[in-house]
Amino acid sequence: MAATTVATRRATRTNRRLGWGSPSVYFVALLLIGAMLAPVVYIILGGFRTNAQITTDPAGWPNPWRVGNYLGVLRGGVFWQEVLNSTVIAVCTTVGVVTLGLMTSFILARYRFRGRGAMYALFAAGLMFPLTVAITPLYILVRTIGLMNTLPGVILPQIGFGISTTIIILVPFLRAIPDEIQEAASIDGCSRLGFFWRMVLPLSMPGVITVAILTFIASWNSYLLPLFILNRESTFTLPLGVQAFASQYSVDTAKVLAFTSLSMIPALVFFSLFQRRIVGGLTGAVKG
Amino acid sequence: MPDSNQQSAQLTQDPSGGPTTVGDGALVASPPTGRRPHKGIGWPARLEIALMTGPTLLVYLFFVIFPVAVAAYYGFYNWQGYGPPTDFVGLRNYVLIFQDGTFLDALWHNGAIVVLSLVIQGPVAVLLALLLNRKMRGQTLIRVLVFIPYVISEVVVGTGWSLMLQGSGAVNSLLEHLGLGWLRGDWLANPGLAIWTLMAILTWKYIGFAVLLFLAGLQGIPDELTEAAAIDGASYWQIQRRITLPLLGPTIRIWAFLSMIGALQLFDLVYIIWGQYIASTAGTSTMATYMVANGRTAGEYGYGNAVAVVLFLISLAAALVYQRFVLRRDTEGAITGGMG
Amino acid sequence: MRARKLLAASLVLAAGVLGVTACGQGGSGAGSSGGKVTMTFWNNATQGDGTAFWDKTVADFQAAHPNVTIKIQEIQNEDLDSKLQTALNSGDAPDIFLQRGGGKMAAMVKAGQLMDITGSITDATKQAVSAGSFKAETLGGKVYAMPMGVVPGGFFYSKDLFAKAGITQTPTTLAELQSDIAKLKTAGIQPIALGAKDAWPAAFYYDFFALRECSSDTITETSNTLKFDDPCWLKAGQDVQSFAATKPFNDGFLTTSAQQGAGSSAGLVANHKAAMELMGAWDPGVIGSLTPDQKPLPDLDWFPFPSTEGGAGEPGAMLGGVGGYSCSAKAPKAECTAFLNYITTTSVQEGYYKAFQSPPINTEAQGAVTEPYLKSVLAAYSKAPYVSQWLDTNYGLNVGNALNTAVVNLLAGKSDAQGIVDAVKTAAKKA
Repeated sequence: MAATTVATRRATRTNRRLGWGSPSVYFVALLLIGAMLAPVVYIILGGFRTNAQITTDPAGWPNPWRVGNYLGVLRGGVFWQEVLNSTVIAVCTTVGVVTLGLMTSFILARYRFRGRGAMYALFAAGLMFPLTVAITPLYILVRTIGLMNTLPGVILPQIGFGISTTIIILVPFLRAIPDEIQEAASIDGCSRLGFFWRMVLPLSMPGVITVAILTFIASWNSYLLPLFILNRESTFTLPLGVQAFASQYSVDTAKVLAFTSLSMIPALVFFSLFQRRIVGGLTGAVKG
Repeated sequence: MPDSNQQSAQLTQDPSGGPTTVGDGALVASPPTGRRPHKGIGWPARLEIALMTGPTLLVYLFFVIFPVAVAAYYGFYNWQGYGPPTDFVGLRNYVLIFQDGTFLDALWHNGAIVVLSLVIQGPVAVLLALLLNRKMRGQTLIRVLVFIPYVISEVVVGTGWSLMLQGSGAVNSLLEHLGLGWLRGDWLANPGLAIWTLMAILTWKYIGFAVLLFLAGLQGIPDELTEAAAIDGASYWQIQRRITLPLLGPTIRIWAFLSMIGALQLFDLVYIIWGQYIASTAGTSTMATYMVANGRTAGEYGYGNAVAVVLFLISLAAALVYQRFVLRRDTEGAITGGMG
Repeated sequence: MRARKLLAASLVLAAGVLGVTACGQGGSGAGSSGGKVTMTFWNNATQGDGTAFWDKTVADFQAAHPNVTIKIQEIQNEDLDSKLQTALNSGDAPDIFLQRGGGKMAAMVKAGQLMDITGSITDATKQAVSAGSFKAETLGGKVYAMPMGVVPGGFFYSKDLFAKAGITQTPTTLAELQSDIAKLKTAGIQPIALGAKDAWPAAFYYDFFALRECSSDTITETSNTLKFDDPCWLKAGQDVQSFAATKPFNDGFLTTSAQQGAGSSAGLVANHKAAMELMGAWDPGVIGSLTPDQKPLPDLDWFPFPSTEGGAGEPGAMLGGVGGYSCSAKAPKAECTAFLNYITTTSVQEGYYKAFQSPPINTEAQGAVTEPYLKSVLAAYSKAPYVSQWLDTNYGLNVGNALNTAVVNLLAGKSDAQGIVDAVKTAAKKA
């Protein structure tokens, strides 16, 4: 059965692919990529021009190419300080969210106890609150406990707000782990926590990675919370820095574009390193 | 299907955690074995639960639930933001909100954005996912590139796009270069155009996410089904309509849910591109921008918090309705207590 | 897995350390530990000359007071109010900051966030600065800000473009202004640049028409009552509507900002793309920073807002008044007031005028003003029978913002004169 079916399969597939026409697929893909990337390219190229160039010909090519704006930003300490702040916040948030989220999802997925439904609903309800809803009291709260202008003042609330999405994604994942494995483990004398440590963690890795990456990106790009909590320039994260820079140098569009495009790069680098995991993780999340 | 196995296994799993009968629907109450003779949840399990969920609950309750509850509390006061609130006005703020034409406009805009997002991004993303779901060279590269706008922060997106869309900006200039000068427009301020500009930018930013999600969903559809149908003589589009799309259903419904919630809570992009003041003039204000403009910017924090609570309630209502009527048939409903 | 845990733990630790250090990094310096005082200073001078002026002024002050250090932070004008409010409310306020006065200042006074400097104004200052200038910074008999400059409003225009359109005399009545606008349009020149994206420039038109239609008593009284029942408020809106009906503004004025970049309204005037704009007397400096060579516009001149028919307002009344700087309630009193007194001295004021091309408050320094248009501004200001702050400053953040936005709505065709009155009434209800 195998050989003939495979042969037929292959034949049909090839026929269908040729019938649809790959060139048109590539063409559409090209248009799509072009539309996606054009604004990004514009921002990057804009940094290579001078303000006068932009005023006279907004959509033109840099002529001549000026590296001054980029060099200025890279040489100044402000940009790197902000990268450091953003990195610390994003990494800590991600670690916190993944750790807490995984532990809690495990409990919600594999234990039965009264109030489990309520707890799950509690966490899921968190999806309904955008940060904008809670920002004023949150800001007063952070101020009261003395964490204004500190990185933990941003990290802790971000962990809180990241929990909901994490639990929603991870619970189905963890539930998908067949009970046979858990049974086998407990027959072998492994406690539930040991099971968690040794088996669940590796098995849920795709989901965990997805959650980690999404959390990292969200934290890296977050604007509103740092806007309220971080008022001192030395504590600014990159999005705040872009805004501050844009407003301070509002006269000089080219400089602003240079700063903006440099601030895109860490996120893009991070993404390109992990993109395979993201797709893999999303696949698992959807299937589970 | 994996799901049903897992569900029935769940049903037979006995809280005592001892070995139970596993199998399809064999609802045999498992007799407590000699190992763990107790009813209900044992102490070890309780401790584990407490340990594993304790810190999470702490952080969550303190930094999420508590502030939202406090926001509701502030909403009952007329309060300018400094010192404790003292001027209790009951439901006045809420009444004013629904009497304010600007808020109702913003609500209408949110509704439009929700609908347009679903209608525009959904089909386009599905088509793109279908298109890109083939083993061809450069598939990975294309997926990466499509996802890039999603990765870029909203501040960057907003700053870049607003510079490009100005009257004297790159978009209009490019149109002129291409000889399409008659298409020049006031992309940001013209109330007829602005909402479409916003939709275009939103689509640009978020379609990558939808495409990726749908691609993942498509990969979960076994090839045998589509092969079999093809052998039986179904055309490509018939296959898509009868087999692929229905199987992609759960994914689409989840995406629609996330998209709807995101559209209701939209803030960053509109705020950065349209600024504090002209969002409502241009017809792109949202409930969130209304909240910031009338709360924080105006120094009326009590009123602003009331708007926040209204925004929350509307999102919650939308989510519950959606869960009830749409998502019910799929996974265990997240909020309407599908934990069984 | 263990490695992961270790990594996590060390990262959390690192974050904690960083957090604590960030926490420990010098507070807003309200302390004078062992005589050394550090203060923070927020202003909105983001362009070259202005920044340089403040750098020099602060440096000179620090030289004269070696135990004092002042850290300057320049914030874009549009962001200043909300950032300041957040900082004031969070107890993390700068020590010295720009003060707009009016209802905005009243709100700060009510919250106890401003330092009362009535007793700290030196005699030298009182001699150099007229008593009337302090009125705008006084509330309940106490002075809360040091006036720095005079920024009354009027039309800043390009003499060359006017000449090109065949306009020989600046308009003194509304009818003359309308005919001048028509002449500019015939000559293919955009008559008026308007930065409606920031809302307040659009509201300037409403403010001035209100000034012409309403008696000065009405305007002052409304600051206290926040009631807009007088028919003159409606009439002002109708005036704006009919003025805008002739389409005197630049293309895309709804998304033109006031001061940011060459595409702003100031930038349009600076690059001769529009003939005039209605602005406060800070404008020459802003325009100067946006010209191609970043030097003051050579053909810049000024005329006051024209008079109108009917209306209860006194002719010659002006908007804009005085801009100044306040000390926060937590600032070190001696050093902060010393700085405020310092910035009104003649030499500093002359430097201020040269850097910002804006009339100084110091009467001696005013004598040093050479630009003819600034002289006209000062002359009109001293002759004015009544000067009011801009209405959005007068009526505070809440009503002021509503007013500004409502005027933009009217200009966008989305609402009418009654809409403006309704909007401010709705906002007043929330107060």
